[in-house]
Amino acid sequence: MIKDITIGQYFPFDSFVHRLDPRTKLLFTVVYIVAAFVSNNFVSLLFCFIIACVVVAISKIPLKTVIKGLRPILLIVIITSLLQIAYIKTGVPLISFWKINITSGGLLSALFMALRISLLIIMSTMLTYTTSPTSLTNGLERIFAPFKKIGIDFHTITMIMTIALRFIPTLIEETDKIMSAQKSRGANFENGNIVKRAKALVPIFIPLLFNSIRRAYELANAMTCRCYNGGKGKTTMNPLKMSGRDYFAVILTLAVIGGIIVLNIFCGEYNAEFTFNAAV
Amino acid sequence: MSHLVTEHLSYVYGEGTPFKVTALDNVNINIEKSELVAIIGHTGSGKSTLVQHMNGLLKPTGGKIFLDGEDIHLSKAKTYETRFKVGLCFQYPEYQLFESTVYKDIAFGPTNMGLSKGEIDERVRNAAKYVGISDEMLQKSPFDLSGGEKRRVAIAGVISMGPEILILDEPTSGLDPRGREQILSLIKNYRDETGKTVIIVSHSMDDVARLADKVIVMNDAKVESCGTVDEVYENSSRLTEIGLSVPQVTEIFVRLKKLGYPVNENVYTAQQGYSELMRLFKGRGIL
Repeated sequence: MIKDITIGQYFPFDSFVHRLDPRTKLLFTVVYIVAAFVSNNFVSLLFCFIIACVVVAISKIPLKTVIKGLRPILLIVIITSLLQIAYIKTGVPLISFWKINITSGGLLSALFMALRISLLIIMSTMLTYTTSPTSLTNGLERIFAPFKKIGIDFHTITMIMTIALRFIPTLIEETDKIMSAQKSRGANFENGNIVKRAKALVPIFIPLLFNSIRRAYELANAMTCRCYNGGKGKTTMNPLKMSGRDYFAVILTLAVIGGIIVLNIFCGEYNAEFTFNAAV
Repeated sequence: MSHLVTEHLSYVYGEGTPFKVTALDNVNINIEKSELVAIIGHTGSGKSTLVQHMNGLLKPTGGKIFLDGEDIHLSKAKTYETRFKVGLCFQYPEYQLFESTVYKDIAFGPTNMGLSKGEIDERVRNAAKYVGISDEMLQKSPFDLSGGEKRRVAIAGVISMGPEILILDEPTSGLDPRGREQILSLIKNYRDETGKTVIIVSHSMDDVARLADKVIVMNDAKVESCGTVDEVYENSSRLTEIGLSVPQVTEIFVRLKKLGYPVNENVYTAQQGYSELMRLFKGRGIL
């Protein structure tokens, strides 16, 4: 169960997407998120959906894993959809009972929002699925390098991020182990009311916190022993280099922006009534 | 009488992901009452996965586990009950201590069992006695103890549940020779005094040879061999092949035999080695 958390996980395959420069992927992800947000009709969103499908297909990441990555946000998607259904009253009334009126407009906008959120999450998880934490933070450090001139040292921030990402799987594994150990002593995390369940977490969090602090000390010592003194004068073993495929990907990214702008202008804001009538 | 039995036990981690691993493959074992069993195998051979099945923490993807003839996954209540009947102490158990005092930590298991205050107190003091923890130490914070002491407290936390079977996963890993010695002798004493079944998971042949009535060798998710210490170590070259070593003393006697000395190879402890050498010397009239 806890092992199902896939956010921040990296799947080391060899594919076109994996070989791209992290900066290209970061740019693409940001552009894609903006594109999904500005899409104001179903055609534009369908375009985003197709792009997501293509990226997933060429990345060689199994579809099952990609869908599993959506699980943590399932609740958010459901709540958003319900709110849309409850508050949007345009279009044809479909069902109405007690105080609830469900209209075609509400349903369509719920679908629209659910799809938009899922696409956002899929593409952001694709970034971490296909980019190792080190190369991701290397990319970030390079992108934000100019900020050093105004006194913001991004090296420290990216180092903190690298360490945080690096320890996600370790902590998950450790949580799993501690849970098993406490379960072996009869701890019960599944039954009881909310107070009882919250109390049942104490035997997990205290050892976890204690071990994390111990681990932080050990890591700090190890880093000091290897003469780590911040980003000053630090060079990279594999400097990032943009290659032909990166320029190709940048052109594709521009095409995504162009495509969305064109589709938004030509198809206009979606009209619930119109879409519904067309569907019928 | 058969106490704990596994039948065609199989377990696959991460089914349907790129990280799919078969951790157990058709494991059939039979553990008798009051036996001291050692499960050995190198890292990743499936031994830890196997013991996590024995108290129902992991549900097998194939096969069954029987405790006293009853399937432990028959019902949820049965599985929960098994947790207390089969006490499992994980590797590096000192990292799971959480209470404010040693006493409270040892009492965690019995409290979960819903026992009365008096019963809990008796069990805590009894368990503390087995692992050599003084009354004064019981009131200390577990985080103030040394590594070896913490480990003993954690073991007491499992013993206090009064399990029929006590399982210890790598109980001596990361301890200095004195700590190892203490843990191993307390395990042996516990078994001898209570007559309960004890299972030790280890990769140290030296530890196992001294203690175990029965040895189960795991390799590559399967049971490689199973029998008494003599039976298992008979095939020492095969053990080396799968990444395990025979005890250092045994190694010496195997080589002596190769050099042509009339010695017995089945020597697993320094004590046995001493008597064997004495026999040899006396036979040659040296002593």
